[in-house]
Amino acid sequence: MRVLALDTALGATAVALLDTDANLILAEESQAMERGHSEALMPMVERVMAAAGVEFSAIDRFGVTIGPGSFTGLRIGIAAARGFALVHDRPAVGVSTLAAYAAPVLFGGERRPVAAAIDARNGMAFFQAMGVDGRTIAGPGLYRIEEAARKTGDGAISFVGNAADKLAAARRDGQVDFRFGAGTVSALPAPPIAWVARLASAANPATSPARPMYLREVNVTMGDRARLQRA
Amino acid sequence: MMHVLGIETTCDETSAAVVRLEPDGTRAILSNRIRSQIEEHRPYGGVVPEIAARAHVEILDRMVRDAMAEAGLGFDALDGVAAAAGPGLIGGVLVGLTTAKAIALGIGKPLLAINHLEAHALTPRLTDDVQFPYLLLLVSGGHSQLVAVRDVGDYHRLGTTIDDAIGEAFDKVAKMLSLGFPGGPAVEVAARDGDPERFALPRPLFGKPEPDFSLSGLKTAVRLAAEAIQPLTEQDVADLCASFQAAVVDCVIDRTRVAIRAFRREIGQPSALVVAGGVGANRAIRHALQRSATEAGLRLVVPPPKLCTDNGAMIAWAGIERLRRGFSDALDAAARPRWPLDETRAKPGARA
Repeated sequence: MRVLALDTALGATAVALLDTDANLILAEESQAMERGHSEALMPMVERVMAAAGVEFSAIDRFGVTIGPGSFTGLRIGIAAARGFALVHDRPAVGVSTLAAYAAPVLFGGERRPVAAAIDARNGMAFFQAMGVDGRTIAGPGLYRIEEAARKTGDGAISFVGNAADKLAAARRDGQVDFRFGAGTVSALPAPPIAWVARLASAANPATSPARPMYLREVNVTMGDRARLQRA
Repeated sequence: MMHVLGIETTCDETSAAVVRLEPDGTRAILSNRIRSQIEEHRPYGGVVPEIAARAHVEILDRMVRDAMAEAGLGFDALDGVAAAAGPGLIGGVLVGLTTAKAIALGIGKPLLAINHLEAHALTPRLTDDVQFPYLLLLVSGGHSQLVAVRDVGDYHRLGTTIDDAIGEAFDKVAKMLSLGFPGGPAVEVAARDGDPERFALPRPLFGKPEPDFSLSGLKTAVRLAAEAIQPLTEQDVADLCASFQAAVVDCVIDRTRVAIRAFRREIGQPSALVVAGGVGANRAIRHALQRSATEAGLRLVVPPPKLCTDNGAMIAWAGIERLRRGFSDALDAAARPRWPLDETRAKPGARA
Protein backbone atom coordinates (compact mmCIF):
# COMPACT_ATOMS: atom_id res chain seq x y z
CA MET A 1 0.00 0.00 0.00
CA ARG A 2 1.24 3.48 -0.84
CA VAL A 3 0.33 6.18 1.69
CA LEU A 4 0.82 9.91 1.20
CA ALA A 5 0.99 11.54 4.64
CA LEU A 6 0.54 15.25 5.36
CA ASP A 7 1.08 17.27 8.51
CA THR A 8 0.44 20.98 9.01
CA ALA A 9 -1.08 20.78 12.48
CA LEU A 10 1.83 22.16 14.49
CA GLY A 11 5.27 23.72 14.02
CA ALA A 12 6.13 22.19 10.65
CA THR A 13 4.87 21.43 7.19
CA ALA A 14 5.72 17.82 6.37
CA VAL A 15 4.95 15.29 3.64
CA ALA A 16 5.97 11.65 3.35
CA LEU A 17 5.25 8.87 0.91
CA LEU A 18 5.29 5.39 2.46
CA ASP A 19 5.34 2.07 0.62
CA THR A 20 4.17 -0.53 3.14
CA ASP A 21 5.01 -3.52 0.94
CA ALA A 22 8.66 -2.47 0.84
CA ASN A 23 8.36 -1.05 4.36
CA LEU A 24 10.08 2.01 2.99
CA ILE A 25 9.60 5.77 3.06
CA LEU A 26 10.00 6.52 -0.65
CA ALA A 27 10.44 10.26 -0.07
CA GLU A 28 9.80 12.75 2.69
CA GLU A 29 10.32 16.39 3.50
CA SER A 30 9.76 18.45 6.62
CA GLN A 31 10.22 22.16 7.19
CA ALA A 32 9.85 23.72 10.61
CA MET A 33 7.59 26.79 10.46
CA GLU A 34 5.23 28.72 12.68
CA ARG A 35 3.21 30.10 9.78
CA GLY A 36 3.01 29.71 6.02
CA HIS A 37 1.86 26.06 6.06
CA SER A 38 -0.81 26.81 3.49
CA GLU A 39 1.67 28.22 0.98
CA ALA A 40 4.30 25.53 1.66
CA LEU A 41 2.20 22.38 1.56
CA MET A 42 1.31 21.83 -2.10
CA PRO A 43 4.74 22.59 -3.59
CA MET A 44 6.15 20.16 -1.00
CA VAL A 45 3.68 17.47 -2.07
CA GLU A 46 4.77 18.03 -5.67
CA ARG A 47 8.45 17.67 -4.72
CA VAL A 48 7.89 14.52 -2.66
CA MET A 49 5.85 12.89 -5.41
CA ALA A 50 8.50 13.81 -7.97
CA ALA A 51 11.34 12.55 -5.77
CA ALA A 52 9.53 9.23 -5.31
CA GLY A 53 8.58 9.09 -8.98
CA VAL A 54 5.01 8.19 -8.08
CA GLU A 55 1.80 9.38 -9.75
CA PHE A 56 -1.29 10.37 -7.74
CA SER A 57 -3.19 7.50 -9.32
CA ALA A 58 -0.76 5.09 -7.60
CA ILE A 59 -1.56 6.37 -4.08
CA ASP A 60 -3.83 4.01 -2.14
CA ARG A 61 -4.49 6.16 0.88
CA PHE A 62 -4.04 9.70 2.16
CA GLY A 63 -3.10 10.17 5.81
CA VAL A 64 -3.21 13.44 7.72
CA THR A 65 -2.74 14.72 11.25
CA ILE A 66 -6.12 15.76 12.64
CA GLY A 67 -4.94 17.42 15.84
CA PRO A 68 -4.85 18.38 18.54
CA GLY A 69 -2.96 21.35 17.19
CA SER A 70 -3.47 24.73 15.61
CA PHE A 71 -7.10 24.87 14.48
CA THR A 72 -6.19 26.61 11.26
CA GLY A 73 -3.16 24.38 10.66
CA LEU A 74 -4.95 21.09 11.06
CA ARG A 75 -7.74 22.24 8.75
CA ILE A 76 -5.17 22.97 6.03
CA GLY A 77 -3.86 19.41 6.11
CA ILE A 78 -7.33 17.90 6.37
CA ALA A 79 -8.73 19.98 3.49
CA ALA A 80 -5.76 18.90 1.36
CA ALA A 81 -6.05 15.21 2.24
CA ARG A 82 -9.80 15.20 1.66
CA GLY A 83 -9.35 17.05 -1.64
CA PHE A 84 -6.84 14.45 -2.87
CA ALA A 85 -9.04 11.62 -1.61
CA LEU A 86 -12.08 13.03 -3.38
CA VAL A 87 -10.37 13.36 -6.75
CA HIS A 88 -8.78 9.91 -6.67
CA ASP A 89 -11.57 8.10 -4.87
CA ARG A 90 -9.27 6.79 -2.14
CA PRO A 91 -9.74 7.02 1.61
CA ALA A 92 -8.39 9.89 3.70
CA VAL A 93 -7.56 8.73 7.22
CA GLY A 94 -6.87 10.82 10.29
CA VAL A 95 -3.95 10.38 12.68
CA SER A 96 -3.78 11.97 16.11
CA THR A 97 -0.76 14.25 16.60
CA LEU A 98 -0.41 12.87 20.14
CA ALA A 99 -0.31 9.30 18.83
CA ALA A 100 2.19 10.22 16.10
CA TYR A 101 4.46 11.84 18.70
CA ALA A 102 4.22 8.73 20.88
CA ALA A 103 4.65 6.12 18.14
CA PRO A 104 8.47 6.14 17.88
CA VAL A 105 8.67 5.33 21.61
CA LEU A 106 5.85 2.79 21.65
CA PHE A 107 7.26 0.95 18.66
CA GLY A 108 10.91 1.57 19.53
CA GLY A 109 13.43 -0.75 21.15
CA GLU A 110 13.18 0.63 24.66
CA ARG A 111 9.68 -0.08 25.85
CA ARG A 112 8.34 2.42 28.32
CA PRO A 113 5.15 4.39 28.81
CA VAL A 114 4.76 7.69 26.97
CA ALA A 115 3.29 11.02 27.95
CA ALA A 116 2.53 13.24 24.98
CA ALA A 117 1.87 16.94 25.51
CA ILE A 118 1.12 19.65 22.97
CA ASP A 119 1.22 23.27 24.00
CA ALA A 120 -2.25 24.80 24.28
CA ARG A 121 -1.03 28.12 25.78
CA ASN A 122 -1.94 29.75 29.11
CA GLY A 123 -0.46 26.88 31.12
CA MET A 124 -2.59 24.32 29.30
CA ALA A 125 -1.65 21.31 27.21
CA PHE A 126 -3.35 18.77 25.02
CA PHE A 127 -2.27 15.60 26.75
CA GLN A 128 -2.42 11.84 26.43
CA ALA A 129 -0.53 9.12 28.33
CA MET A 130 -0.08 5.62 26.97
CA GLY A 131 1.22 2.40 28.51
CA VAL A 132 3.85 0.15 26.92
CA ASP A 133 1.12 -1.83 25.19
CA GLY A 134 -0.07 1.39 23.54
CA ARG A 135 -3.26 1.54 25.58
CA THR A 136 -4.36 4.98 26.71
CA ILE A 137 -3.87 5.62 30.44
CA ALA A 138 -5.07 9.21 30.48
CA GLY A 139 -6.59 11.64 27.98
CA PRO A 140 -6.62 12.62 25.25
CA GLY A 141 -7.83 15.97 26.48
CA LEU A 142 -7.07 19.53 27.43
CA TYR A 143 -5.44 19.81 30.86
CA ARG A 144 -3.54 22.24 33.01
CA ILE A 145 0.12 21.21 32.67
CA GLU A 146 0.41 20.42 36.41
CA GLU A 147 -2.69 18.27 36.28
CA ALA A 148 -1.34 16.41 33.25
CA ALA A 149 2.00 15.92 35.03
CA ARG A 150 0.22 14.35 38.02
CA LYS A 151 -1.41 11.86 35.69
CA THR A 152 1.99 10.60 34.51
CA GLY A 153 2.59 8.72 37.76
CA ASP A 154 6.11 8.32 39.14
CA GLY A 155 7.64 5.59 37.02
CA ALA A 156 10.07 5.89 34.14
CA ILE A 157 8.31 7.52 31.26
CA SER A 158 9.14 9.21 27.98
CA PHE A 159 7.87 12.72 27.42
CA VAL A 160 7.10 13.65 23.85
CA GLY A 161 5.32 16.47 22.09
CA ASN A 162 6.15 20.14 21.63
CA ALA A 163 5.36 20.70 25.33
CA ALA A 164 7.33 17.64 26.52
CA ASP A 165 9.84 19.78 28.37
CA LYS A 166 7.11 21.77 30.14
CA LEU A 167 5.37 18.57 31.16
CA ALA A 168 8.61 17.02 32.43
CA ALA A 169 9.44 20.19 34.35
CA ALA A 170 5.98 20.27 35.91
CA ARG A 171 6.43 16.69 37.06
CA ARG A 172 9.73 17.53 38.75
CA ASP A 173 8.25 20.62 40.42
CA GLY A 174 5.38 18.62 41.82
CA GLN A 175 5.25 16.18 44.67
CA VAL A 176 5.87 13.14 42.48
CA ASP A 177 8.59 10.79 43.71
CA PHE A 178 11.17 10.78 40.97
CA ARG A 179 13.42 7.99 42.25
CA PHE A 180 12.24 5.40 39.78
CA GLY A 181 13.86 7.03 36.79
CA ALA A 182 13.43 10.20 34.88
CA GLY A 183 12.71 8.95 31.42
CA THR A 184 13.48 10.86 28.28
CA VAL A 185 12.31 14.19 26.97
CA SER A 186 11.88 14.88 23.27
CA ALA A 187 10.21 18.17 22.36
CA LEU A 188 10.01 18.16 18.56
CA PRO A 189 8.09 21.02 16.90
CA ALA A 190 5.92 18.51 15.02
CA PRO A 191 5.39 14.73 15.06
CA PRO A 192 7.71 12.62 12.85
CA ILE A 193 6.02 12.51 9.45
CA ALA A 194 7.18 8.94 8.74
CA TRP A 195 5.18 7.84 11.77
CA VAL A 196 2.14 9.76 10.62
CA ALA A 197 2.37 7.72 7.42
CA ARG A 198 2.82 4.39 9.28
CA LEU A 199 -0.07 5.04 11.65
CA ALA A 200 -2.22 6.06 8.68
CA SER A 201 -1.39 2.80 6.92
CA ALA A 202 -2.47 0.83 9.99
CA ALA A 203 -5.65 2.80 10.69
CA ASN A 204 -9.12 1.64 9.73
CA PRO A 205 -10.55 4.27 7.36
CA ALA A 206 -14.07 3.56 8.64
CA THR A 207 -13.18 4.47 12.22
CA SER A 208 -10.39 6.99 11.61
CA PRO A 209 -11.88 9.63 9.32
CA ALA A 210 -9.89 12.73 8.40
CA ARG A 211 -11.95 14.97 10.69
CA PRO A 212 -10.52 17.59 13.02
CA MET A 213 -9.88 16.65 16.65
CA TYR A 214 -10.00 20.08 18.26
CA LEU A 215 -10.33 19.04 21.94
CA ARG A 216 -11.36 22.62 22.64
CA GLU A 217 -14.71 24.31 22.16
CA VAL A 218 -15.04 27.57 20.28
CA ASN A 219 -14.71 30.42 22.73
CA VAL A 220 -17.24 33.11 21.84
CA THR A 221 -17.53 36.32 23.81
CA MET A 222 -20.94 37.87 23.34
CA GLY A 223 -21.08 41.64 23.07
CA ASP A 224 -24.56 42.28 24.40
CA ARG A 225 -24.00 45.89 25.39
CA ALA A 226 -25.77 46.86 22.22
CA ARG A 227 -29.31 45.78 23.01
CA LEU A 228 -31.99 48.26 23.90
CA GLN A 229 -34.89 47.73 26.23
CA ARG A 230 -38.10 46.54 24.66
CA ALA A 231 -41.50 47.43 26.06
CA MET B 1 -15.84 24.25 -24.25
CA MET B 2 -14.54 25.16 -20.82
CA HIS B 3 -15.55 23.75 -17.43
CA VAL B 4 -14.42 25.25 -14.15
CA LEU B 5 -15.18 24.18 -10.59
CA GLY B 6 -15.70 27.11 -8.19
CA ILE B 7 -15.38 26.99 -4.40
CA GLU B 8 -16.53 29.73 -2.03
CA THR B 9 -15.82 29.72 1.74
CA THR B 10 -14.97 33.33 2.61
CA CYS B 11 -17.78 33.92 5.09
CA ASP B 12 -20.75 31.88 6.27
CA GLU B 13 -21.76 30.11 3.07
CA THR B 14 -20.11 26.92 1.89
CA SER B 15 -20.54 26.57 -1.86
CA ALA B 16 -19.29 24.50 -4.78
CA ALA B 17 -20.39 24.99 -8.37
CA VAL B 18 -19.55 24.03 -11.93
CA VAL B 19 -19.88 26.55 -14.76
CA ARG B 20 -19.51 25.89 -18.47
CA LEU B 21 -18.54 28.27 -21.27
CA GLU B 22 -19.31 27.03 -24.76
CA PRO B 23 -17.33 28.06 -27.86
CA ASP B 24 -20.21 30.28 -29.04
CA GLY B 25 -20.10 32.18 -25.74
CA THR B 26 -23.09 30.48 -24.13
CA ARG B 27 -22.66 30.16 -20.37
CA ALA B 28 -24.35 27.55 -18.21
CA ILE B 29 -24.37 27.01 -14.46
CA LEU B 30 -24.33 23.21 -14.31
CA SER B 31 -24.55 23.13 -10.52
CA ASN B 32 -24.38 25.64 -7.68
CA ARG B 33 -24.59 23.98 -4.26
CA ILE B 34 -24.83 26.38 -1.35
CA ARG B 35 -25.13 25.69 2.34
CA SER B 36 -25.72 28.64 4.64
CA GLN B 37 -24.42 28.50 8.21
CA ILE B 38 -26.97 31.00 9.49
CA GLU B 39 -28.30 28.54 12.09
CA GLU B 40 -24.84 27.95 13.58
CA HIS B 41 -24.19 31.68 13.95
CA ARG B 42 -27.66 32.85 14.95
CA PRO B 43 -27.16 32.39 18.72
CA TYR B 44 -24.26 34.85 18.57
CA GLY B 45 -25.98 37.52 16.49
CA GLY B 46 -23.18 37.49 13.92
CA VAL B 47 -20.72 35.29 12.11
CA VAL B 48 -18.19 33.67 14.45
CA PRO B 49 -15.03 33.00 12.39
CA GLU B 50 -13.95 29.78 14.13
CA ILE B 51 -17.45 28.31 13.94
CA ALA B 52 -17.52 29.19 10.24
CA ALA B 53 -14.17 27.52 9.54
CA ARG B 54 -15.19 24.36 11.41
CA ALA B 55 -18.39 24.09 9.44
CA HIS B 56 -16.66 24.62 6.07
CA VAL B 57 -14.11 21.83 6.53
CA GLU B 58 -16.80 19.45 7.70
CA ILE B 59 -18.81 19.53 4.49
CA LEU B 60 -16.83 21.04 1.64
CA ASP B 61 -15.50 17.82 0.07
CA ARG B 62 -18.97 16.26 -0.03
CA MET B 63 -20.37 19.45 -1.48
CA VAL B 64 -17.78 19.40 -4.27
CA ARG B 65 -18.59 15.77 -4.97
CA ASP B 66 -22.30 16.58 -5.16
CA ALA B 67 -21.70 19.60 -7.40
CA MET B 68 -19.66 17.46 -9.79
CA ALA B 69 -22.30 14.74 -9.79
CA GLU B 70 -25.08 17.24 -10.46
CA ALA B 71 -23.04 18.66 -13.34
CA GLY B 72 -22.61 15.12 -14.62
CA LEU B 73 -18.85 15.51 -14.89
CA GLY B 74 -15.82 13.58 -13.76
CA PHE B 75 -12.88 15.58 -12.39
CA ASP B 76 -10.97 14.88 -15.61
CA ALA B 77 -13.48 17.04 -17.48
CA LEU B 78 -12.45 20.17 -15.57
CA ASP B 79 -10.23 22.76 -17.25
CA GLY B 80 -9.43 24.53 -14.01
CA VAL B 81 -10.24 24.73 -10.31
CA ALA B 82 -11.14 28.10 -8.81
CA ALA B 83 -11.47 29.10 -5.18
CA ALA B 84 -12.03 32.41 -3.46
CA ALA B 85 -8.63 33.23 -1.93
CA GLY B 86 -9.93 36.34 -0.11
CA PRO B 87 -10.88 38.81 1.10
CA GLY B 88 -12.71 37.14 3.94
CA LEU B 89 -12.44 35.16 7.16
CA ILE B 90 -9.03 33.54 6.83
CA GLY B 91 -9.86 30.20 8.49
CA GLY B 92 -12.63 29.51 6.03
CA VAL B 93 -10.73 30.88 3.03
CA LEU B 94 -7.89 28.45 3.79
CA VAL B 95 -10.27 25.48 3.76
CA GLY B 96 -11.65 26.38 0.33
CA LEU B 97 -8.34 27.40 -1.21
CA THR B 98 -6.49 24.32 0.08
CA THR B 99 -9.23 21.99 -1.16
CA ALA B 100 -9.02 23.65 -4.59
CA LYS B 101 -5.24 23.32 -4.63
CA ALA B 102 -5.47 19.62 -3.81
CA ILE B 103 -8.01 19.02 -6.57
CA ALA B 104 -5.99 21.06 -9.08
CA LEU B 105 -2.75 19.27 -8.25
CA GLY B 106 -4.54 15.93 -8.14
CA ILE B 107 -5.87 16.28 -11.68
CA GLY B 108 -2.98 18.32 -13.07
CA LYS B 109 -5.10 21.33 -14.05
CA PRO B 110 -4.59 25.03 -13.33
CA LEU B 111 -5.52 26.63 -10.01
CA LEU B 112 -7.35 29.95 -10.04
CA ALA B 113 -7.04 31.88 -6.77
CA ILE B 114 -9.94 34.29 -7.15
CA ASN B 115 -10.57 37.63 -5.49
CA HIS B 116 -14.07 37.25 -4.03
CA LEU B 117 -14.87 40.87 -4.90
CA GLU B 118 -13.80 40.30 -8.50
CA ALA B 119 -16.21 37.36 -8.65
CA HIS B 120 -19.06 39.62 -7.51
CA ALA B 121 -17.92 42.23 -10.03
CA LEU B 122 -17.95 39.79 -12.97
CA THR B 123 -21.24 38.02 -12.11
CA PRO B 124 -23.37 40.26 -14.39
CA ARG B 125 -21.31 38.98 -17.32
CA LEU B 126 -22.31 35.44 -16.38
CA THR B 127 -26.00 36.24 -15.99
CA ASP B 128 -26.58 39.10 -18.46
CA ASP B 129 -23.50 39.24 -20.69
CA VAL B 130 -22.92 42.84 -19.65
CA GLN B 131 -20.16 44.49 -21.70
CA PHE B 132 -17.24 46.46 -20.26
CA PRO B 133 -17.07 49.05 -18.90
CA TYR B 134 -19.83 49.18 -16.30
CA LEU B 135 -20.48 50.66 -12.88
CA LEU B 136 -20.71 48.18 -10.03
CA LEU B 137 -22.37 48.91 -6.70
CA LEU B 138 -21.14 46.14 -4.41
CA VAL B 139 -23.10 46.16 -1.16
CA SER B 140 -22.93 43.32 1.35
CA GLY B 141 -22.23 42.57 4.99
CA GLY B 142 -18.54 43.05 4.41
CA HIS B 143 -18.31 45.50 1.54
CA SER B 144 -19.78 48.76 0.24
CA GLN B 145 -18.03 49.95 -2.88
CA LEU B 146 -18.65 51.71 -6.16
CA VAL B 147 -16.32 50.31 -8.78
CA ALA B 148 -15.69 51.03 -12.46
CA VAL B 149 -15.25 47.59 -14.04
CA ARG B 150 -13.18 48.20 -17.18
CA ASP B 151 -11.97 44.68 -17.94
CA VAL B 152 -11.07 41.45 -16.18
CA GLY B 153 -8.44 42.45 -13.65
CA ASP B 154 -8.92 46.16 -14.39
CA TYR B 155 -10.99 47.76 -11.65
CA HIS B 156 -11.10 51.36 -10.62
CA ARG B 157 -12.64 51.93 -7.23
CA LEU B 158 -14.55 55.18 -7.28
CA GLY B 159 -15.73 55.03 -3.69
CA THR B 160 -15.87 52.83 -0.62
CA THR B 161 -17.10 52.93 2.94
CA ILE B 162 -14.89 54.77 5.36
CA ASP B 163 -16.27 52.78 8.32
CA ASP B 164 -19.03 50.15 8.39
CA ALA B 165 -20.35 48.24 5.38
CA ILE B 166 -24.05 48.78 4.63
CA GLY B 167 -24.99 45.18 5.42
CA GLU B 168 -23.00 45.43 8.61
CA ALA B 169 -24.99 48.53 9.63
CA PHE B 170 -28.24 46.64 9.00
CA ASP B 171 -26.93 43.78 11.17
CA LYS B 172 -25.93 46.13 13.98
CA VAL B 173 -29.26 47.96 13.98
CA ALA B 174 -31.06 44.60 14.01
CA LYS B 175 -28.92 43.49 16.91
CA MET B 176 -29.55 46.57 19.04
CA LEU B 177 -33.27 46.20 18.41
CA SER B 178 -33.19 42.44 19.11
CA LEU B 179 -34.52 41.63 15.64
CA GLY B 180 -32.34 38.59 15.10
CA PHE B 181 -29.71 37.53 12.59
CA PRO B 182 -29.16 38.08 9.73
CA GLY B 183 -30.25 41.65 10.27
CA GLY B 184 -30.86 42.90 6.73
CA PRO B 185 -34.07 40.98 6.02
CA ALA B 186 -35.26 41.50 9.62
CA VAL B 187 -34.90 45.28 9.41
CA GLU B 188 -36.58 45.33 6.00
CA VAL B 189 -39.58 43.39 7.31
CA ALA B 190 -39.89 45.57 10.42
CA ALA B 191 -39.60 48.72 8.30
CA ARG B 192 -42.69 47.84 6.27
CA ASP B 193 -45.03 48.89 9.06
CA GLY B 194 -42.97 51.88 10.11
CA ASP B 195 -43.00 55.63 9.53
CA PRO B 196 -39.77 56.57 7.68
CA GLU B 197 -40.18 60.23 8.68
CA ARG B 198 -40.67 59.86 12.42
CA PHE B 199 -36.96 60.07 13.23
CA ALA B 200 -34.77 62.68 11.58
CA LEU B 201 -31.64 60.62 11.01
CA PRO B 202 -28.47 61.93 9.33
CA ARG B 203 -27.47 61.11 5.73
CA PRO B 204 -23.66 60.90 6.16
CA LEU B 205 -21.58 62.27 3.24
CA PHE B 206 -24.75 63.25 1.32
CA GLY B 207 -23.78 65.66 -1.46
CA LYS B 208 -20.03 65.17 -1.02
CA PRO B 209 -18.08 65.06 -4.30
CA GLU B 210 -16.35 61.70 -3.62
CA PRO B 211 -18.73 58.71 -3.85
CA ASP B 212 -17.74 57.20 -0.49
CA PHE B 213 -20.04 55.78 2.16
CA SER B 214 -20.16 56.24 5.91
CA LEU B 215 -22.59 54.32 8.07
CA SER B 216 -21.17 54.55 11.55
CA GLY B 217 -22.75 57.90 12.43
CA LEU B 218 -26.13 56.81 11.14
CA LYS B 219 -26.00 53.67 13.22
CA THR B 220 -25.13 55.74 16.31
CA ALA B 221 -27.99 58.13 15.55
CA VAL B 222 -30.40 55.18 15.51
CA ARG B 223 -29.07 54.13 18.90
CA LEU B 224 -29.45 57.60 20.39
CA ALA B 225 -32.96 58.03 18.99
CA ALA B 226 -33.91 54.63 20.43
CA GLU B 227 -32.32 55.27 23.81
CA ALA B 228 -34.24 58.49 24.14
CA ILE B 229 -37.59 56.72 23.91
CA GLN B 230 -36.93 53.27 25.39
CA PRO B 231 -38.52 50.96 26.40
CA LEU B 232 -39.44 50.42 22.76
CA THR B 233 -42.85 49.36 21.49
CA GLU B 234 -43.29 47.35 18.29
CA GLN B 235 -44.28 50.57 16.54
CA ASP B 236 -41.16 52.35 17.81
CA VAL B 237 -39.02 49.54 16.39
CA ALA B 238 -40.86 49.65 13.06
CA ASP B 239 -40.46 53.43 12.86
CA LEU B 240 -36.75 53.24 13.74
CA CYS B 241 -36.20 50.59 11.06
CA ALA B 242 -38.16 52.53 8.45
CA SER B 243 -36.32 55.75 9.25
CA PHE B 244 -32.96 53.98 9.17
CA GLN B 245 -33.70 52.25 5.87
CA ALA B 246 -34.91 55.49 4.31
CA ALA B 247 -31.65 57.17 5.31
CA VAL B 248 -29.62 54.30 3.81
CA VAL B 249 -31.63 54.48 0.58
CA ASP B 250 -31.02 58.23 0.31
CA CYS B 251 -27.30 57.71 0.84
CA VAL B 252 -27.06 54.87 -1.68
CA ILE B 253 -28.91 56.88 -4.32
CA ASP B 254 -26.87 60.02 -3.76
CA ARG B 255 -23.53 58.19 -3.68
CA THR B 256 -24.41 56.21 -6.82
CA ARG B 257 -25.42 59.39 -8.62
CA VAL B 258 -22.06 60.93 -7.76
CA ALA B 259 -20.29 57.75 -8.92
CA ILE B 260 -22.10 57.79 -12.28
CA ARG B 261 -20.91 61.37 -12.79
CA ALA B 262 -17.36 60.41 -11.81
CA PHE B 263 -17.49 57.41 -14.16
CA ARG B 264 -18.55 59.56 -17.11
CA ARG B 265 -15.91 62.14 -16.30
CA GLU B 266 -13.00 59.73 -15.73
CA ILE B 267 -13.79 56.64 -17.80
CA GLY B 268 -16.58 57.25 -20.27
CA GLN B 269 -20.05 55.88 -20.74
CA PRO B 270 -20.94 52.86 -18.57
CA SER B 271 -22.92 50.10 -20.31
CA ALA B 272 -24.93 49.42 -17.17
CA LEU B 273 -25.38 49.99 -13.45
CA VAL B 274 -24.84 46.62 -11.78
CA VAL B 275 -25.72 45.72 -8.22
CA ALA B 276 -24.07 42.80 -6.42
CA GLY B 277 -23.95 41.62 -2.83
CA GLY B 278 -26.61 40.58 -0.35
CA VAL B 279 -27.89 44.11 0.26
CA GLY B 280 -29.06 44.06 -3.37
CA ALA B 281 -31.88 41.83 -2.13
CA ASN B 282 -33.38 44.78 -0.18
CA ARG B 283 -36.42 45.89 -2.15
CA ALA B 284 -36.42 49.50 -1.05
CA ILE B 285 -32.82 49.87 -2.17
CA ARG B 286 -33.45 48.03 -5.44
CA HIS B 287 -36.48 50.13 -6.33
CA ALA B 288 -34.61 53.33 -5.59
CA LEU B 289 -31.68 52.19 -7.73
CA GLN B 290 -34.04 51.40 -10.59
CA ARG B 291 -35.23 55.01 -10.45
CA SER B 292 -31.71 56.43 -10.44
CA ALA B 293 -30.63 54.14 -13.29
CA THR B 294 -33.60 55.27 -15.34
CA GLU B 295 -32.84 58.92 -14.58
CA ALA B 296 -29.26 58.41 -15.71
CA GLY B 297 -30.32 56.54 -18.83
CA LEU B 298 -28.60 53.37 -17.68
CA ARG B 299 -29.67 49.76 -17.74
CA LEU B 300 -29.91 48.33 -14.21
CA VAL B 301 -28.67 44.76 -13.83
CA VAL B 302 -29.32 42.91 -10.57
CA PRO B 303 -28.37 39.24 -10.72
CA PRO B 304 -30.89 36.87 -9.11
CA PRO B 305 -30.57 36.70 -5.29
CA LYS B 306 -28.79 33.34 -5.33
CA LEU B 307 -26.04 34.86 -7.48
CA CYS B 308 -26.02 38.18 -5.58
CA THR B 309 -25.09 36.61 -2.29
CA ASP B 310 -21.98 34.46 -1.88
CA ASN B 311 -21.92 31.43 -4.17
CA GLY B 312 -19.55 29.11 -5.98
CA ALA B 313 -20.87 29.82 -9.47
CA MET B 314 -19.52 33.37 -9.41
CA ILE B 315 -16.11 32.00 -8.36
CA ALA B 316 -16.19 29.45 -11.19
CA TRP B 317 -17.19 32.17 -13.65
CA ALA B 318 -14.39 34.49 -12.52
CA GLY B 319 -12.12 31.45 -12.98
CA ILE B 320 -13.33 31.06 -16.56
CA GLU B 321 -12.86 34.77 -17.26
CA ARG B 322 -9.28 34.59 -16.00
CA LEU B 323 -8.42 31.20 -17.49
CA ARG B 324 -9.49 32.18 -21.00
CA ARG B 325 -7.22 35.20 -20.79
CA GLY B 326 -4.33 32.91 -19.90
CA PHE B 327 -4.17 33.70 -16.17
CA SER B 328 -3.66 31.04 -13.53
CA ASP B 329 -2.04 30.82 -10.10
CA ALA B 330 0.79 28.82 -8.54
CA LEU B 331 0.13 26.21 -5.87
CA ASP B 332 1.76 28.39 -3.23
CA ALA B 333 -0.91 31.08 -3.70
CA ALA B 334 -1.68 32.70 -0.35
CA ALA B 335 -5.05 33.25 1.25
CA ARG B 336 -5.62 36.97 1.80
CA PRO B 337 -7.87 38.27 4.59
CA ARG B 338 -7.72 41.69 2.91
CA TRP B 339 -7.50 42.06 -0.82
CA PRO B 340 -8.74 45.30 -2.35
CA LEU B 341 -10.04 45.07 -5.91
CA ASP B 342 -8.21 48.19 -6.85
CA GLU B 343 -4.88 47.92 -5.06
CA THR B 344 -3.65 51.24 -6.35
CA ARG B 345 -6.37 53.05 -4.44
CA ALA B 346 -6.29 50.94 -1.31
CA LYS B 347 -5.97 53.31 1.61
CA PRO B 348 -4.03 52.26 4.68
CA GLY B 349 -6.49 50.69 7.08
CA ALA B 350 -9.25 50.64 4.48
CA ARG B 351 -11.51 47.64 4.45
CA ALA B 352 -11.08 45.50 1.40
